[in-house]
Amino acid sequence: MIFSEIYGSYFKAVSAILTKAVEGNLTERELTRTVLENAFGESLVTIPAKLTDGSWPLLTRNFGTPLTRSPHLPLTTLEKQWLKALLLDPRIQLFAPSEEGLEDVEPLFTQDQIVYYDRYSNGDDFSDSRYIEHFHTIIQAMHEKRKLRVRFHGHRGTRQSYICIPYKLEYSSKDDKFRLITGFRGKPLIVNLSRMDSVHRLDPWDESEYQRPNEREKTLVMDLFDTRNALERVMLHFTDLEKETERIEDKHYRITLNYKQGDETEILIRILSFGPVLKVLEPETMVSQIRDRLERQAAILEQK
Amino acid sequence: MAYSELIKSFEKIRDYMRDFYVYGFKSREDYKKKSARSYDDERRRIESWLGGYMAFRHTAEGKNVFISVDNRSVTFNPLHNAWKAKSFTDKDIVLHFCILDILADGAARSVGEITDGVTDYLSHTETPFEIDESTVRKKLKEYTDLGILQDEKHGRFLYFRLAEDKVDLPSWEDATAFFSEEAPFGVVGSYLLDRQAEAPEHFSYKHHYLLHTLDTQILYDALCAMKEKRCIDIVNFSVRKDEEHEHRVYPLRFYISTQTGREYLLAFHYKFRKPMFFRLDNIRAITPGPVESRHEKYEGFADKFDENLWGVSTGGDYSVDHVELTLHVGDEEGYIIDRLEREKRHGQIEMLDEHTYKFVADVYDAGELLTWARSFIGRVICFESDNKFAVDRFYGDVRRMAEMYRGGEKT
Repeated sequence: MIFSEIYGSYFKAVSAILTKAVEGNLTERELTRTVLENAFGESLVTIPAKLTDGSWPLLTRNFGTPLTRSPHLPLTTLEKQWLKALLLDPRIQLFAPSEEGLEDVEPLFTQDQIVYYDRYSNGDDFSDSRYIEHFHTIIQAMHEKRKLRVRFHGHRGTRQSYICIPYKLEYSSKDDKFRLITGFRGKPLIVNLSRMDSVHRLDPWDESEYQRPNEREKTLVMDLFDTRNALERVMLHFTDLEKETERIEDKHYRITLNYKQGDETEILIRILSFGPVLKVLEPETMVSQIRDRLERQAAILEQK
Repeated sequence: MAYSELIKSFEKIRDYMRDFYVYGFKSREDYKKKSARSYDDERRRIESWLGGYMAFRHTAEGKNVFISVDNRSVTFNPLHNAWKAKSFTDKDIVLHFCILDILADGAARSVGEITDGVTDYLSHTETPFEIDESTVRKKLKEYTDLGILQDEKHGRFLYFRLAEDKVDLPSWEDATAFFSEEAPFGVVGSYLLDRQAEAPEHFSYKHHYLLHTLDTQILYDALCAMKEKRCIDIVNFSVRKDEEHEHRVYPLRFYISTQTGREYLLAFHYKFRKPMFFRLDNIRAITPGPVESRHEKYEGFADKFDENLWGVSTGGDYSVDHVELTLHVGDEEGYIIDRLEREKRHGQIEMLDEHTYKFVADVYDAGELLTWARSFIGRVICFESDNKFAVDRFYGDVRRMAEMYRGGEKT
């Protein structure tokens, strides 16, 4: 069963409240704080009242509890089956978790049951021992809040070396690749893990140094003409980007979306792939690139 | 019934969440099929679950409510929260914590002993909270099915103890954080992360699609049937016809798009005698049917069938279209050849001369390649296929785009 109250935010919040009650640390203020931290926006209206009006008699007066221990819920079969399924995923080699306790568990799914039919074929090699070592080093540095010395070769083969703070490990399912998101001298730096020659952990970074430089964001405005079920296709395709949609008239919509400047070519390709159901209005640089490609295309076809 | 932010049925909010997330321009008036009160309640619930991710805009048509997420900046899918809003009774929650505490020492106890224990716990209350043995028995059975408890016979009596749990969850911390976003059933990972004091926030995601979490129950039901080699009855909503249809099929595989987040079930259709795709977000319900004795035969279809699939379209008649896409590749444009290599799913690439490359494939539906072919606009020397419709559409699209960007009206 996927949808069960035992996984729910209310049970989570009450479990945290009872833990504090067992430890003797529960107060009215703590109760409020715990609900806010663990449940939903409106849960504060329900949970404290239910715990104190006798509906859920799990607290005694003065915020004690008849329970003797902090609540502990053993893993469910579903949770164990999911973990077991992960052991079959090639990317699990990057994490090397303990397999203890899962020996007799059936995996929830197997790799041959799932086909990622449009994933690019040149993804990272997750079985490469050097790649795994680099991944571990980066993750460890993130846990320990340490800087890294990263040496890698760039697109044109040039060797580069940086001391940097690892902000995020970014994964793309389409590319099947990991990239290290970092920065150098106030500018964002993105390094493919597969291009790394070596990674070393250095000293811990200071809070004042942790200033992640953001990639420049650009805003794109385009019109959508809803033929060939375009509305649904476009809306779903661009759900990975922050966007706003406005209905101009029947079958005519205006979409405003934000993208990282470094992704401009990729966004251009994605828009072109939809053909004449999308027309870019802004930015002008994108419009002129599309015009340029269409003119080149016309020239090729004229030569035929 | 009084409003509650919790829900009994997940199915009810699937459509709302999808519409709020995908479209973002619909106003209250657009939800004509549902009652106004239902709309108000569901909107309020989703707002409560998602907090800061809900956004509003006032337009001439009314107030638009939408879910606004920059997927690249989120570490954890906020839509998972919907799965954590299952309603329950007062007895459910009270029994849950009492039973866990009574069995916390690892000893096995009978239903009677556990019921007595619960009654003792509740003796402090001024208002009576009645719990009978049959309610406790039902809860113990439910928890045994979930794997939280294990039962054992002592003579004529059934005893229960907490299930053995040797999993070293801290060793899974990073993997759980990553796979909760990047593996099927990611919401289960989210449940596991909720068990930890703090979830690691090391990962971010590009091309990150969040919506599929809403279809997790459908995925689960189909998968359970696959494990047991059962056929299933699907209630499928046809967007084109705006109505529901029932299909009896044998489930084979799931096809997931990393470029749109769409998820499909490939299944053998008994009535139509052929493999077909069903979008998971269009499936309303799945009921398991009888075990299929010829399962190996149908599973064999899936491998063969995949050989000519570009995406998830089988074309009109399951015949194969021959497609050739010839591209001009300029000096220092090796990245175009790289694109062809990594993005092609089937077929071969031929070098015709230093600046000309041809991609050749046989696929069920050449129309599916149009999206890809259009992404090479500016370099296409030739797009050929025995599917004339696809060829005409490609050149027609190029012509119309040229008109659009020249300032002409869209036709």
